[in-house]
Amino acid sequence: MTQTKQFTKAVGNANEINELLRRYGVKFGIYKNGVFNEQFFPFDPIPRVISAEDFQGIEKGLVQRVNALNEFLFDIYHEKNIVRDGVIPEDFIYISKGYLAECEGITPKNKVYSHISGIDLVQAKDGEWYILEDNLRIPSGASYPLIARELTRIAAPQAFEENAVVDNRGYAELLKETMENANCGGIRAILTPGRYNAAYFEHSYLAEHTDSVLVQNDELFVEDNILYHRTYSGGKTRIGVLYRRIADEYLDPLTFYPESLIGIPNLMEAYRSGNVGIINAPGNGVADDKGIYYFVPKMIKYYLGEEPILKNAPTYLPFYEEDMKYVMEHLDTLVIKDVAEAGGYGVVFGSDLTKEKLEEFRRTIIAEPRRFIAQEVIDFLDLPILDNGETVMRKADLRAFVLSGETTRVWASGLTRFSRNPDSFVVNSSQGGGFKDTWVLSR
Amino acid sequence: MKHVNFYYSTKLTFDDYVHGHSFALRIIPPETETQHILSCSLNISPYVSTQQTADAFGNNVTTGYLKGDHRFLDFEIKGSAEVDHTKHRTDYMPCYLYQSQYTKPDDELKTFYDSIRGKCTGTVQDRAAYLCDCLSDVIEYEKGFTSTTTTAAQAFELKKGVCQDFSHILISLLRLDGIAARYIAGLAFCDGETHSWVEFWTGDHWEGIDPANNCPVSDDYLVISQGRDFRDCAIDRGVMFGKYTKQLQLVRSVLT
Repeated sequence: MTQTKQFTKAVGNANEINELLRRYGVKFGIYKNGVFNEQFFPFDPIPRVISAEDFQGIEKGLVQRVNALNEFLFDIYHEKNIVRDGVIPEDFIYISKGYLAECEGITPKNKVYSHISGIDLVQAKDGEWYILEDNLRIPSGASYPLIARELTRIAAPQAFEENAVVDNRGYAELLKETMENANCGGIRAILTPGRYNAAYFEHSYLAEHTDSVLVQNDELFVEDNILYHRTYSGGKTRIGVLYRRIADEYLDPLTFYPESLIGIPNLMEAYRSGNVGIINAPGNGVADDKGIYYFVPKMIKYYLGEEPILKNAPTYLPFYEEDMKYVMEHLDTLVIKDVAEAGGYGVVFGSDLTKEKLEEFRRTIIAEPRRFIAQEVIDFLDLPILDNGETVMRKADLRAFVLSGETTRVWASGLTRFSRNPDSFVVNSSQGGGFKDTWVLSR
Repeated sequence: MKHVNFYYSTKLTFDDYVHGHSFALRIIPPETETQHILSCSLNISPYVSTQQTADAFGNNVTTGYLKGDHRFLDFEIKGSAEVDHTKHRTDYMPCYLYQSQYTKPDDELKTFYDSIRGKCTGTVQDRAAYLCDCLSDVIEYEKGFTSTTTTAAQAFELKKGVCQDFSHILISLLRLDGIAARYIAGLAFCDGETHSWVEFWTGDHWEGIDPANNCPVSDDYLVISQGRDFRDCAIDRGVMFGKYTKQLQLVRSVLT
């Protein structure tokens, strides 16, 4: 790769940058066997480079996709025309764990449900981009490339003189505008479950950079269906928009799980009354369900009357007889995903299974066809990473961040995650992967 | 058509002061095709500012926040209504066709359904009445064995329960049979406490059936709230802070 040469200056400073990341506390938390551990997210200094032309195509495709997903969420929680018109079978909506009947009839301000969408893509060897997954429940990860870029600038400023890289520092401003568009009158707040949450670093970083207050639930209360922040002096400040990463079911113990200790009582009533915006909207899980993923290209045609610009990875639903037949015949070459799992869990490659395990899995799929989707394994384009001073090739994906405020915009950067294991396709940070900066070139 | 007067009260007493008390009450009967509310007053003590909203299932929700120290919360409703079951409600939601947290059947309940499904034929009304008969044959009405958090599967295993348990089991069976069904919390003549029953969807409208008494619902029933199961219908839900260890709840309800 000739491009790599241009980055030698950045590469040469890899250790320095990783040292800075450690010093700044760029970490993510992970629970393993019930024990909380914080890990450094290993940074690889060779950036992924996306040409201006390539990015334009991705950008158009992502805006289209997210607009359709927002239309879908509005439809599902109101008229349900897409079900009535037979585009999506009713079962897929109402059996989905992400569908929350409690959210029926609620219209968030400006009809935006997914304010921040994290769309995971991969590039195949032939250069084509494929969508792997939509994350519409406050996807995490934007702060990592932001801070890595910041530190790379410090360690190797020349890299940005020699390469026409689009500045990614606008993310905070973009997020702020998105939050303001959802604001129902009051201050901006970022709710964190606290110090022992996987994304605590990110919450504090984003709060600082968007001029929002970082809050925990015991500082908040709802009075007269208005959300307030308790101030140190005993007063109260109204909150107009709340960014939160706690799961919907824990958000309000008087609406969802009564045993939730991390929620805010009557938040849902304040939200339903239009007195506070919630980022992202509760109930979004119905649209990023792995089973619903199959239908997103159909949604784009249905709601926007357009052909999808970005392709899904070829996907089969064992729910359909024809697809079940294909899956049974090709199980050993497909990747099977459990629709209820996330973070790289519940992903099985048929080629990894022994004959007995394969048969056992076959029976599980036949018994619960709705629980799984099957996909062709895409031949990812490998990216170079630095491993003990040597350049090696590894699988990588790209999480693009799409923000929906007054308009839908794609952040000209993203989180490129790679697998450190040469044989693995799974790049999730919770599975021990690392990350790279993503450079979008301006020309 | 029948004219009814209704009264319901709850007295919550704590054995120590509590504060920061948020509550949501589903206590004001909804105005529907089958019941016209002529008057309804809600009193809450200690004094607290409240707000009214309607939730996803069409229930009236009254919310409030008691910031300071208090040792009790009392609330009561009083009013009158015209009930007319010759008219029909049509507020359908597809989620009522799917099992919910409290109605999800286990293997035992599924096996029971499989053993009776052969004779479950005819109109939706016939099938609902048949399932309700089958249920009455195997479950005893008996207090003290189940609680508000008992699921249909747990009550079915005990073969004992109260109106709430009968409703959950019937809803579970109806949904297994492909009939949409919802849980109703309300007041009925035959009961000194709050009552619960079931509505099933005929394909065109809702019809009420009372599994605890194995009879159809008449104008002697007043709906207070409805939902997928008890969880959506709890008359009062609250969260508070304090060192209290016990909470005493006294409930009185009258329908005349």
